[in-house]
Amino acid sequence: MILHRSTVPQSSAKRRPRWAAALGACLVAAACSGPVSIEPPEVDVPTPLPEGIDFDPEIETGTADDSCEPVASYSPGSVTAEQARATLGDQDLVVIGISQSTNLMGYRDPVTGDLAGFDIDIAKAIVSHLMGDETKVKWVPMTSGDREEAVNSGTVDMVVRTMTMTCKRWNSVEFSSEYYHGGQRLLVPTGSGIGGLGDLTADHQVCTGKGSTSPRNIAEQSEAQPVTVPDFNDCLVLLQQGTVDAITTDDCILAGMAIQDPTLEVVGEAFSQEPYGIAFAKGNTDLARYVNGVLETMREDGTWQDIYDKWLAEHLGAATAPDPVYQD
Amino acid sequence: MTVQSPPAPPQAQVQGGPAAPVPGPAGAAESGRQRFSRLSSSLRHTPGQLRGILAVLVVLTLGAGVTAATSILGKSAVIEDTTSQSGRLSVAALELYQALSQADASAASSYLTAGAASEEVHDSYREALRDATVALTTAAREVETHADAQLVAELNAHLPVYTGLVESARTFNRLGEPVGATYQRQASTLMRSEMLPDANTLQHNAIDQLNEARDEASAFPWVATALAAAALGVLVWAQLWLTRRTNRVFNLGLVGATVAMIGMTGWLVLVALASASHTERSHEEGSDPLELLAEAHITAQQARAEESLLLIARGEDEKADERYTDQMALLVGEGGLLAQLSEAYGDDPDLSGPLAAAEESAGAWSAGHDEVIKLAKAGSYAEAVELAVGDSDESLATSFDALDEQLTEATAISAERFVDATGDAERSLSGAAAGLAALSLLALVSAAIGIQMRVAEYHA
Repeated sequence: MILHRSTVPQSSAKRRPRWAAALGACLVAAACSGPVSIEPPEVDVPTPLPEGIDFDPEIETGTADDSCEPVASYSPGSVTAEQARATLGDQDLVVIGISQSTNLMGYRDPVTGDLAGFDIDIAKAIVSHLMGDETKVKWVPMTSGDREEAVNSGTVDMVVRTMTMTCKRWNSVEFSSEYYHGGQRLLVPTGSGIGGLGDLTADHQVCTGKGSTSPRNIAEQSEAQPVTVPDFNDCLVLLQQGTVDAITTDDCILAGMAIQDPTLEVVGEAFSQEPYGIAFAKGNTDLARYVNGVLETMREDGTWQDIYDKWLAEHLGAATAPDPVYQD
Repeated sequence: MTVQSPPAPPQAQVQGGPAAPVPGPAGAAESGRQRFSRLSSSLRHTPGQLRGILAVLVVLTLGAGVTAATSILGKSAVIEDTTSQSGRLSVAALELYQALSQADASAASSYLTAGAASEEVHDSYREALRDATVALTTAAREVETHADAQLVAELNAHLPVYTGLVESARTFNRLGEPVGATYQRQASTLMRSEMLPDANTLQHNAIDQLNEARDEASAFPWVATALAAAALGVLVWAQLWLTRRTNRVFNLGLVGATVAMIGMTGWLVLVALASASHTERSHEEGSDPLELLAEAHITAQQARAEESLLLIARGEDEKADERYTDQMALLVGEGGLLAQLSEAYGDDPDLSGPLAAAEESAGAWSAGHDEVIKLAKAGSYAEAVELAVGDSDESLATSFDALDEQLTEATAISAERFVDATGDAERSLSGAAAGLAALSLLALVSAAIGIQMRVAEYHA
């Protein structure tokens, strides 16, 4: 355009700077681009969630395996401590699989770092009968998924870790008689208006551990939407953060959560049967019989009651030791 | 002397004023035809031919001068940009990424440690948080794209949530409630799954922008060089032609113009090559090792965080152990980050020391970790924690801190080199734009004088 403007005859000397100006202007224009305006960003309100949370888990269906009597163990008979010790991997040390992260049942006291809880005290009482010395024990922490493999591979001699006796598990391990009768209940904020299963509606999200029977129980027996997390401890944080409305799992585990937060309470009747047993390697019935004998003694001499009262009575109410059932 | 804009002769503003009438397309075509016939008739005579040569020379010389000056100015601006905007953004993004992973590692260690030592580790958590917020503020100021602004906003929104979770974890831990461990784990999950990836993306974006700028800065100014060479060619040819026409061997004006153009071309080439080599050096000795070192640093911190999480979960978090193993494989595995570093910079007199020491520390840490896992699996939890975060010489905290220190030292050396090389590149360009412009103007004036003298002879 600028070149075409030179209609008036001019000397080349006069035209020259104009080209230069044009050239310069083009180069400058190409070199500097104007400042870019950035649209303001939009950010959702951040909600921290545990890894692996599932807000719409697939619920297992199918009938439960009731081909057996899950609580029936072996009668104590006359197995001596010596005979029982002979089945141990190491005669001088009993190795017990436990949880270190289930409050009130088996956990590390955050202040002292020591193991404590209902399961731990039951196990300690067994150790002192079996070994004659409460300290001749090695505690091996494990996840719930590790339990069956650990007893059968010989990593541990027994597992005392909130383990429900089921027919399926009887296929791979031996169980002691029932040492705690648990059941699935609900943990809700005080004054939430939820007093039991019947108060749950489809709008309620109920948190529970993945891979357990809890999601199925809650889905079958209430309207509520189950939400699963890989570790049930995450449920407590989610309830405190208001992400879920209730937690459901075994009552003793709920008690371990309730004790950490005075604004929460365990409500409703138990809506499942969770008989807890001590697991041994498949075939090691001698150890099972001996431990059943120890459990009998603990029921009779009040040791069991003391341990229950110390850990669980405050949150779950008074209870007595479950009666043993034997298959032979 | 600095030149603010390309040198355009001052008459340009007078001549190119907006007052000049703009003819329609028809008028333009007509005037084009008129001008062409006038031009072709005048080119049949020597004075006209001389003016034609001068016009070509003017275009070429001015073109060379303007493009050379603008390309040098452009380079300076880009190099300045690498030390300012995109440079500051990449440094801030890197610091942010590092500070966040350090905060996570410290928070987790502090949760595990008891008493006064815990407070010490917590101090380093607070320092890391301060670094992270400062880096976020800088990044917020320097971002230039919507994507980067979004990342900064996400990070800003997540940071207080993260610190809230960490403080809840601390409080519950003090009260002796095990749920503290879950809060700590949730904090780390937020950091690992949301914040660190965002910081990582921001850092990569910034480095991409920096690389783009660097390529621009080290590009050779072909257009300016070609124009200068063409101007030189025309000058030489014009002198040969004049010699034939006028039987005079030298035209002083044209000789002067030739000398000026030779000087300008030489200077342009030298300056372009020097600045490219300094820029390249800033890349090879500065930003390359910086990037690799930062990656190693962050990987180490994340592995450390996972190690602590594993113990916080009382050994019942298998995923944490897997993540630790993955991070450590990245760090010390075959062809891992430390191996890459020692392969690339093992011969470097300044870097080889800290790098070798870092490899040793990482080895000690990795070996010690296996011992910690063994203890934890065997139920000796207190011993495992003591070995992991205690302050004895065998403690993993000692090896990790040593590794941290050695990587920091190597980072400081590389950062200094980057700044030096960028400074050299900037200095090598200083004054060049003005000088090149002046030389091309000199060539222009000389040529004009030389040719005008001949033209005047015809009119005389």
